[in-house]
Amino acid sequence: MTEAAAQTLDAATDEPPLPKRSALTDMLGELADLWRVTLDTLFYTFNHKREKGAVITQCYAIGNRSLFFMVVTMGFIGAIVVYQIGIQTARIIPDMSLVGATYVKLLIRDLAASVGAMPLATRVGAGIAAEIGSMVVTEQTDALRMSAADPVDYLVVPRFLASVLMGTSILLIGGAVAYFAGMLICNLSFDVNPYVYMNFSMVTSGDCILGFIKCLVYGGTIALVSSQRGLRTFGGSEGVGRATTEAVVGSLFAIITLNLIMSTIGNFLLPA
Amino acid sequence: MIELFDVHKHFKEPVLRGVSLSVPAKGIYALIGPGAAGKSILFKIIAGLVTPERGSVRVNGEEVVGRREREMMDLRRGIGMLFQNYALFDLSVAENIAFPLRRLFDFSEDEIEARVAERLERVALPGFQDRNPASCSGGQKKRIGVARATIARAPIVLYDEPTAGLDPVTSQKIYNLIREEQRAQESTVMVISSDVNGVLSIADRVGMLHKGRLIFDGTVDEARVCPTPEVNQFVHGLTEGPL
Repeated sequence: MTEAAAQTLDAATDEPPLPKRSALTDMLGELADLWRVTLDTLFYTFNHKREKGAVITQCYAIGNRSLFFMVVTMGFIGAIVVYQIGIQTARIIPDMSLVGATYVKLLIRDLAASVGAMPLATRVGAGIAAEIGSMVVTEQTDALRMSAADPVDYLVVPRFLASVLMGTSILLIGGAVAYFAGMLICNLSFDVNPYVYMNFSMVTSGDCILGFIKCLVYGGTIALVSSQRGLRTFGGSEGVGRATTEAVVGSLFAIITLNLIMSTIGNFLLPA
Repeated sequence: MIELFDVHKHFKEPVLRGVSLSVPAKGIYALIGPGAAGKSILFKIIAGLVTPERGSVRVNGEEVVGRREREMMDLRRGIGMLFQNYALFDLSVAENIAFPLRRLFDFSEDEIEARVAERLERVALPGFQDRNPASCSGGQKKRIGVARATIARAPIVLYDEPTAGLDPVTSQKIYNLIREEQRAQESTVMVISSDVNGVLSIADRVGMLHKGRLIFDGTVDEARVCPTPEVNQFVHGLTEGPL
């Protein structure tokens, strides 16, 4: 067969036609793949034993190593938001007594989770995508599959569990830091007494429940979106870079979309 | 025995174009060809890591194509694989080598430890158990990869570029090791290599892929006198020719 095959080497008449793909098809394919990764992650979370220490290691990488960055970022965000609120309030009604009360409600219900999740996504999402993406391009995920270790079970689930646990913890800590940074700015810039600022009378249990659910969902979403992008890495270091960028962009987009959905549902089920 | 029939695969461009191949059992089959010919993808298709668009792949009589990931476990128990990029995990050398045993079989810790030590002796890396692969040289990483690929004593072993980037002496040692392992286990071995002289020194049969097509399949002696210009040029390392 060899000579004949060589002569017709470039003819390529018997290969199946390449399927035509549009941007919409690609996007639907990505969403379907994200859905598959999510379902597999939930399946393995409840049906398989974890490798010893896998979740703890990820908790350290996702939690402890993000703590300083998140504390500093949320401290500045809290200070800036309260300063701007104070300036606008002073123009309308020069009464600052309710700034702390309205700010803490806003913080608990939405800002701590939704704003905090964004820097968290850049820090954690990029790390997860780069790590898994590097494993894909160096064939480590293939080696896992050859040993009957599904990469979703072995790589994604520990990161998912750690991100839910530590992501939630860090967002709560970040919220607290933003609150106290706001208190400092309120006192220094607008002369509001900390006792007046620390007014929780407007906060309801619904605000706390909705804020906590958002923290849990964002923690899991960052891990799932970033892992899916990492697993879809194609090519060498350029592919890892692309996957990392897409993980951060995808996570931010998912956070904003989920915030809209959860806030809308929350307004009906847990009114402000 | 490994059999492929009319296997097609494309990514952005066609990678495999109707490859049909039969690899006899208990021998070494060398798969050669220039870069981007589709050799590594062919291995991944045989191992069920990549699904072809068209065609059939049978390993020991069992169809690989169309199986779901969770149904691949039995098949992969019977296949060992050395990856081109080593694919060693960020674990100790011993943990890397023991990984397939822990996941695919139900051996006691003592047995796993003994097997790892025996493999490390075999690949001339005794006492490397606690080292991290990152601190090993390229040749040592390849040998760790060989130890991992062969620890389960699988009847089929696939070696993807086992000597890429290695010096000639280390390369020949790796080839000798592959031959000795194949004889000891009586396994069916496929080796991808761009080092034609080295791989032909241990192969029983040879196939050449070019632009996604199998343009030669025969014995080593037949390969050396094959009149097909691409095969002749590649086997003899000529600079003049169609490649």
